[in-house]
Amino acid sequence: MKRRHFLQTLIASASALAINPAQAFTGQRLLSQRYLRPPGALAEADFVARCIHCGQCGEVCPNRCIRYFGLENGTASLDTPYIIPRDQACILCMKCGDICPTDAITPVPELMQPILDKVHMGHAVVDRSLCLSWQGQSCGVCYRACPLADVAIRVGWMEQPHVLDKCVGCGLCERACIQMPQAIRIIPDYG
Amino acid sequence: MNKKPLTLYRHLNKLRWVSLIIVFSMLILLPFLHMYQTFVAAHGYDLLSNADKDIYNVMATLTSPFTENPAKGLDVIKGNTWSGTFFGLQLSDPLSVVSQIAAGLTIYWPFVLTALIPVLLTLIFGRFFCGWICPATFLYELNTNLAAWAHRAGLPVGNRHFDRRLKYLILLVGLILSAITGSVLVAAIYPPAIVGRELYYGIALGGFGAGSIFFVITLLFDLLVARRGFCRYLCPGGALYSLLGHFRLVRIQRLVKTCNDCAMCNAVCEFGLDPLHDNFGQECNNCTACIAICPTDALTFEIKITDQPNQGPGHLGHLYKREQGKNSSTKQEAIK
Repeated sequence: MKRRHFLQTLIASASALAINPAQAFTGQRLLSQRYLRPPGALAEADFVARCIHCGQCGEVCPNRCIRYFGLENGTASLDTPYIIPRDQACILCMKCGDICPTDAITPVPELMQPILDKVHMGHAVVDRSLCLSWQGQSCGVCYRACPLADVAIRVGWMEQPHVLDKCVGCGLCERACIQMPQAIRIIPDYG
Repeated sequence: MNKKPLTLYRHLNKLRWVSLIIVFSMLILLPFLHMYQTFVAAHGYDLLSNADKDIYNVMATLTSPFTENPAKGLDVIKGNTWSGTFFGLQLSDPLSVVSQIAAGLTIYWPFVLTALIPVLLTLIFGRFFCGWICPATFLYELNTNLAAWAHRAGLPVGNRHFDRRLKYLILLVGLILSAITGSVLVAAIYPPAIVGRELYYGIALGGFGAGSIFFVITLLFDLLVARRGFCRYLCPGGALYSLLGHFRLVRIQRLVKTCNDCAMCNAVCEFGLDPLHDNFGQECNNCTACIAICPTDALTFEIKITDQPNQGPGHLGHLYKREQGKNSSTKQEAIK
């Protein structure tokens, strides 16, 4: 976190507290920030109640995609882990679930079927007006970035992406999208 | 024959500093190890900045004797004193378990068991975590030294006293707030958790978070308002450890026969306890500073579950001799 960002956060959270303390303390999401929880995380309310803010999930993440909230998402999620897939997406290595002492992130073996069953970070959605393939220029980057290609996403004519129901929402497609802003994005599933 | 404490006891205070320094330096080293692991996993040495290359090289040199495959092999030590993984053994602060139970209002046994070893050690040694392991203690004790220098330089330093029971209230309020919000909020006001986390944020994530401000405020509180005030009066973890250590087995006790009432133990006690009048209580963290400073070897470890009642003035002190003199003179009068 840059210092400026930190100060902004501080001021934002202070004002949020001042404007609506009840909302800030009950853990409702204050900002419309779109974030993911680490793979295998419990549903949002359970996750926040279970997580003890120890920071081991971030410390074990080989991809450095797990960051920690300051006060910008309400007091309840202070110091809890999150992922912004456009910055750095999850590679589904499942190390964070193994190390989590409270199983707020449930341990999931690094195998396809358990990951499909237990990981619900979100679901990818394609914006066809932004997508190169849908606009007539063959691209297919999201399909090639997907660790579950042909299971979570398949491509049709001109490599137009179709997201399937089994998408777990790791965000690698959003990270890889060469359009700016990204044409494919993860809609988080907070459970 | 007077009892004498083991010579080792006088050196435990130095050993304690070694322990504090090891814990603190591990907390600094671990984020660097994590960065090194991510660099290895990314296979991108050529793309690193020069500073990151230096980190990579130093960490590679440090860890090469221990592991062939750093991306996996260094996963064995992770976390901090709030909750950590040590060669497959997960250890958690008892406060993290208690506050998690309060926040979730359910008991999750696999996590509760991670605090078993710390709780057992606390039942035996009392509040030893505060003196021997806590990374915040390391900074707070340095802060106390700073306060002493400031005092010598003529600057005003705080030495106010509050009620020690305040921290139990803070523990209670913290747990109630955790239960209401459904989030482990105690972690945000518990210095060892903050220090571990913020060191990781500062080193590996590029900037300190909100907790660092709170921690700096506690340092200023200790410096300007009350010496070691946070640990003494406010720390929720210290409160929990004190409660668990109420019937601790290993206690520092005064040997009245060799005590000379010099009161150096009271002056050196970081927690403001009163060894001179056998008033250790549940707050003593067995830091052994009083044993180390005692000029007449009148403090030692004993195995019992309660403190001795006040044994009166030390037998080598003036007060005791005067009383003895009085007693003998009254006896002589009685004989006459």
